[in-house]
Amino acid sequence: MTPEERSRKESPGTGSGAAAPRSLAESLRARDDVSLSALLRARPDLITPVPTDLTQLATRAATRASVVRALERLDRFALQTAEALAVAGDPATYEELLGLMAGDDGPQADPLVAEALPRALTTLRDQALVWGADDRLRLVRTARELLAPSPQHPSPTGLGPTVAEAAGGMSPGRIQEILTAAGLPATHDAVSAMTSLSELFGDRARMAALLEKAPAESLEVLSRLVWGPPYGQVTPNPAPRLRWLLDRGLLLPSPRLSAGLEQGRPPAPGTVVLPREAALHLRSGRAHHHTEPLPPVVEAAATHSAHMVDATAAGQAYTALATVEELLKDWDEGGPSVLRAGGLSVRDLKRTAVALDVSEPVAAFWVELCYAAGLLASDGEADERYAATPAYDEWTELPPAGRWTRLATAWLTATRTAGLVGGRDAKDRALSALGPGLDRSAAPEVRHRVLTLLAGLPEGASAARESVLARLRWERPLRGDRPAADDLRSRLAQWTLSEAELLGVTGRGALSGHGRALLGERPDHTPPAEPTGPGDKLPVHRQHHRPAPYEPLTAAEQTAAAARAARLLAPLLPEPLDHVLLQADLTAVAPGPLERPLADMLNVLADVESKGGATVYRFTPASVRRALDAGRTASDLHAFLAAHARTPVPQPLAYLIDDVARRHGHLRVGAASAYLRCDDDALLSEILADRRSAGLRLRRLAPTVLAAQSDPAVLLEGLRTMGFAPAAESAEGDVLITRAHAHRTPPRTPPEPVPDGPPTPDTTLLTAALRAVRAGDLASTAPRKPTGAPATGGDLPRTTSAETLATMQAAVLTGESLWIGYVNAEGSASQRVIAPIRVEGGFVTAYDHTADEVRTYPLHRVTGVAELADDQL
Amino acid sequence: MERVPRVNGPLIVQSDKTLLLEVDHEQADDCRRAIAPFAELERAPEHIHTYRVTPLGLWNARAAGHDAEQVVDALVQYSRYPVPHALLVDIAETMDRYGRLTLSKHPAHGLVLTSTDRPVLEEVLRSKRIAPLVGARIDPDTVAVHPSERGQIKQVLLKLGWPAEDLAGYVDGEAHPIELREDGWALRPYQKQAVENFWHGGSGVVVLPCGAGKTLVGAGSMAEAKSTTLILVTNTVSARQWKHELVKRTTLTEDEIGEYSGTRKEIRPVTIATYQVLTTKRKGVYPHLELFDSRDWGLIVYDEVHLLPAPVFKFTADLQARRRLGLTATLVREDGRESDVFSLIGPKRFDAPWKEIEAQGYIAPADCVEVRVNLTDAERLAYATAETEEKYRFCATTDTKRKVTEALVRRFAGQQILVIGQYIDQLDELGEHLGAPVIKGETTNAQREKLFGAFREGEISVLVVSKVANFSIDLPEATVAIQVSGTFGSRQEEAQRLGRVLRPKADGHQAHFYSVVARDTIDQDFAAHRQRFLAEQGYAYRIMDADELLAES
Repeated sequence: MTPEERSRKESPGTGSGAAAPRSLAESLRARDDVSLSALLRARPDLITPVPTDLTQLATRAATRASVVRALERLDRFALQTAEALAVAGDPATYEELLGLMAGDDGPQADPLVAEALPRALTTLRDQALVWGADDRLRLVRTARELLAPSPQHPSPTGLGPTVAEAAGGMSPGRIQEILTAAGLPATHDAVSAMTSLSELFGDRARMAALLEKAPAESLEVLSRLVWGPPYGQVTPNPAPRLRWLLDRGLLLPSPRLSAGLEQGRPPAPGTVVLPREAALHLRSGRAHHHTEPLPPVVEAAATHSAHMVDATAAGQAYTALATVEELLKDWDEGGPSVLRAGGLSVRDLKRTAVALDVSEPVAAFWVELCYAAGLLASDGEADERYAATPAYDEWTELPPAGRWTRLATAWLTATRTAGLVGGRDAKDRALSALGPGLDRSAAPEVRHRVLTLLAGLPEGASAARESVLARLRWERPLRGDRPAADDLRSRLAQWTLSEAELLGVTGRGALSGHGRALLGERPDHTPPAEPTGPGDKLPVHRQHHRPAPYEPLTAAEQTAAAARAARLLAPLLPEPLDHVLLQADLTAVAPGPLERPLADMLNVLADVESKGGATVYRFTPASVRRALDAGRTASDLHAFLAAHARTPVPQPLAYLIDDVARRHGHLRVGAASAYLRCDDDALLSEILADRRSAGLRLRRLAPTVLAAQSDPAVLLEGLRTMGFAPAAESAEGDVLITRAHAHRTPPRTPPEPVPDGPPTPDTTLLTAALRAVRAGDLASTAPRKPTGAPATGGDLPRTTSAETLATMQAAVLTGESLWIGYVNAEGSASQRVIAPIRVEGGFVTAYDHTADEVRTYPLHRVTGVAELADDQL
Repeated sequence: MERVPRVNGPLIVQSDKTLLLEVDHEQADDCRRAIAPFAELERAPEHIHTYRVTPLGLWNARAAGHDAEQVVDALVQYSRYPVPHALLVDIAETMDRYGRLTLSKHPAHGLVLTSTDRPVLEEVLRSKRIAPLVGARIDPDTVAVHPSERGQIKQVLLKLGWPAEDLAGYVDGEAHPIELREDGWALRPYQKQAVENFWHGGSGVVVLPCGAGKTLVGAGSMAEAKSTTLILVTNTVSARQWKHELVKRTTLTEDEIGEYSGTRKEIRPVTIATYQVLTTKRKGVYPHLELFDSRDWGLIVYDEVHLLPAPVFKFTADLQARRRLGLTATLVREDGRESDVFSLIGPKRFDAPWKEIEAQGYIAPADCVEVRVNLTDAERLAYATAETEEKYRFCATTDTKRKVTEALVRRFAGQQILVIGQYIDQLDELGEHLGAPVIKGETTNAQREKLFGAFREGEISVLVVSKVANFSIDLPEATVAIQVSGTFGSRQEEAQRLGRVLRPKADGHQAHFYSVVARDTIDQDFAAHRQRFLAEQGYAYRIMDADELLAES
């Protein structure tokens, strides 16, 4: 059964003919579980905490905070529908609503609206913002108050108050004058006068007749007010054209505002308002100037071949990996320090940007990405610094495609927003990378949505940025009139587009194959079936797929999606090479990524001159010396180059190595400050006898001790190059351990995403909660089934313990709620309605509707159980 | 249609906007042709050539009529790995900046600067440096420019990042009949191409290696212009050689060609002037500037553009209405004024890498060797105690170098050998030991030409020259050059000197270039710097120890 049909079931016209609901609670009660689940899924705040019964659920659904939340999540057309309902009668009929949305000319004039309206109405009903059948549509009162026009909050419809509201404070005499001027017979009292005037304004034919007599200038005044704002100013002595309107009540003095609501500004004395009925007449019944029944189509800006897109994205993905590695390698020996307020200083960010050869916002993105992926954190020491986490070391061990999915998944789900870096928060404090205040709960949803929109385009097509933004704005229209490009969602969407490109999720602006896989494949929410009821007389144009509410992937789904993405990406990434090309100008070119050991060695032996698809290394005397310092010998280097060069080693390079090696270690530095001791004096003799030790200037002081003129480090180094394995000693004679090179934080977990509001409940929780609510509802409203024991009034149900156990276990299986009697430790008895979840070890764990939480009861204290009457189920 | 990138293209695009081209790849030639218009060849060693994409290069390409699409297409088509989108966007944007502003002739207002993009015009007009150069605003898209500021404004606009396209055209100049006289010789294909490219482009620079016949490109252009021509050269010897060559190759006679130098001040339909005389300053003024206005020149040729002294740029700024041809072996300038060459003389119109012309057989292949000599212990002590400014002289003139030079001369006995150096006393000493004449600053021009003539004829086989002979001397039969010292780390000097031996040899045998360097001294560092340009051009230096060499001979 589709939601469409479900909602229609309520309608007496199409439904079973049950009595029309008298309240929201009743309408909720009449809904089936699927429909209630949909409500709770869409408005998770309603079950945190789980309400005891449907009445409480309905009350909560009508609270201001919850309604505002729900309204904010409506798409533009649904919101427009709600706005129209807010200016319609209460209750309104479907026809009335259709008139407001499509105008007097009816559905034929605006078939798109007529087609989309049932769907919008379904949305509103699903969200429990509207209830009642098609002939008695009721907008939840709080929503009505929020959306209806008032002088403080001009409605987006641009309509003013009704005649009755506007003329409320007028003197009866003045009202009678208006009646006369409008050509109506005088009445006995103000109330009937108002009714008579409202009727006139609401009657298209009579109104047209009245306006026909209006002077052209007066009509011109009206046309200025008709689409709102409906307020104007008149002087104490209005011009004749205004006078004509004022006389007939087409302009009414604006109702006096309470001073407090006007923010201390007293209302201007001459403010007049165009009453709603009159405006509607002039608008031929339309509540909105423009209705937007259809979501703006996301347009393709350019289409590339899928192959090209994937290749470009893969190239960028590879760059992303290289960048992250470069960044963290840079910070290996003590990264930048943490600011007192948390985060990275502007100077450090600048330095990082220069090191990575990117702009600062991009550098901030990489830094935040590493942080979100848990590869980077502060080390928590006294002198707090940022450094790679142990997770980084694990990460580097992964295959490239796996490394990428780790990054991409972290990016997709993170609420931290790198785009904000460099901006200022509400208190005008600078927002720094890795610092506080960067979490935006909407970020994961917007990222997901933007990518989903891209996924909706044909393969290889990139989206026009503006059309994506327009679509997002349609799906979540803003209340108020903030500049369109400036709102957070639009900014998030723009960041998403550029970040996705940086990360290689998209290539050339189009979603890549691996990016698509990353989004996960959800069974498509079946599009609503063709609308029936009032809309079905019209030709059905297109079924627009309503965006499924954003639900983050579960961990398992995410893993599966990541694995799929990795599988797609892996063949696109360049294979690491095991060779370089050596050239006579003392450069080496690696025409692609290198195998890690090879790259590590080359990084020592040569300076990197240019990066990208390939790497260009330059050999300099300094770089060769560095390699020699790292313990390599000239012959090592020759062998290494010969082994890894595709081309013969050029003579100048070979000469350079020999030349540097010739001089390397030629000069030895020393102060007589080190000693060498060894229990084996034969070994010391050997060292002394060794010609290579001459440079260390060792002198034998005792059979087991040599004094050296050089300092300990050089001595160690010298001995090691000679092939010995000496160990350094501290002043106390302990062996010194050389610290590991790379700096690591203690184990760290990546930052938890900060969701906006309670998480969307999963199906298990939903079912349990729903069951509980229903049960509670039944407990409070339904008559109880007579059980074996007479369970009347305040009597506790009594059953044998075997029966209790059996009933409980059955209830766990069926998911029913039970009515139990319970005696607590103090001996006082109570009745509770529980939904057992687990029965074991003499205890029952159950959701207790009475206490509104999950509790565990010892079975021996349960006096008995009774099933709840379930006639209505 | 969109091209699908080839999986194994010859080109790798780097993030610093360099392009690496694998020369042994089967598509390397196609790729080179595709990227040459917009990318500057930076290094051409044996396996991977490096090209650099710079804004100047991209604008050069725009000026030559290439559009961004072609550039992007070339990159995408030949790239081995996917080209970062950001880089493609950046290229398109940079190229788009050229030609938004154009300088042109307005029938009523004279020289005007027009824009197709009003905000750009607004932006540049707001610049303080532009304001004094422009006149009245004619309409929202057009502003008048003082004709005298045509060069200035181009220079400033380039600095602002909005290079203007100069469509204001050229004056024809005073007509003068000039024809090439191709009897028994003809312009080589690349020279023809260079002349054609230059002529269609209006003004600009032709880049050809030393010995590739730049003079003939000049002559060819003059034959196209058929008007009075002013030729600016580096020195008097070079001026004579130009004259000699023009008389030989064109219909011009001796009388039609004037020399304007320190010694002679002739102004004729074709006048050859030296930079030196033009930049002579007396009492704060340049007395020889009137040369530029003395005739209605139709073409101005700048020889060795990379050496163009700064004042000449200033004069050139005022000559924007005349066709300008720049000739050079390299656009690399030690002073980094490449952008002035671009804005004042013109964009690069033609270039051909050295190795390619060598492969076509127009210049001789060369064997470059660096010989490292050890200082004697006494010299090392002296070197260590020498003042900083004296250090180079000390190590560059070590005695061991003389021995090595003598050994080399002995080894190549019978061939034409040039010994080139910086320090006169060193050269005198060498000349004495080798029994060879020395050409230095004080040698008279007559004497120089006599010696050059004798060397050319083979009467003398060894010639010792100082840096006065660095430029534009034509010694067709020199096959061995031995460099004993140089002007510190000058890259273009090294290229010029190598150029001495690169002229094609009658018997086609290999040229040798020896650079004698003192080991472990500042001389060695300078040598590395000097060689870098040539090594990047594909001239691999072998390094030898002097002992090895002395033992061999």
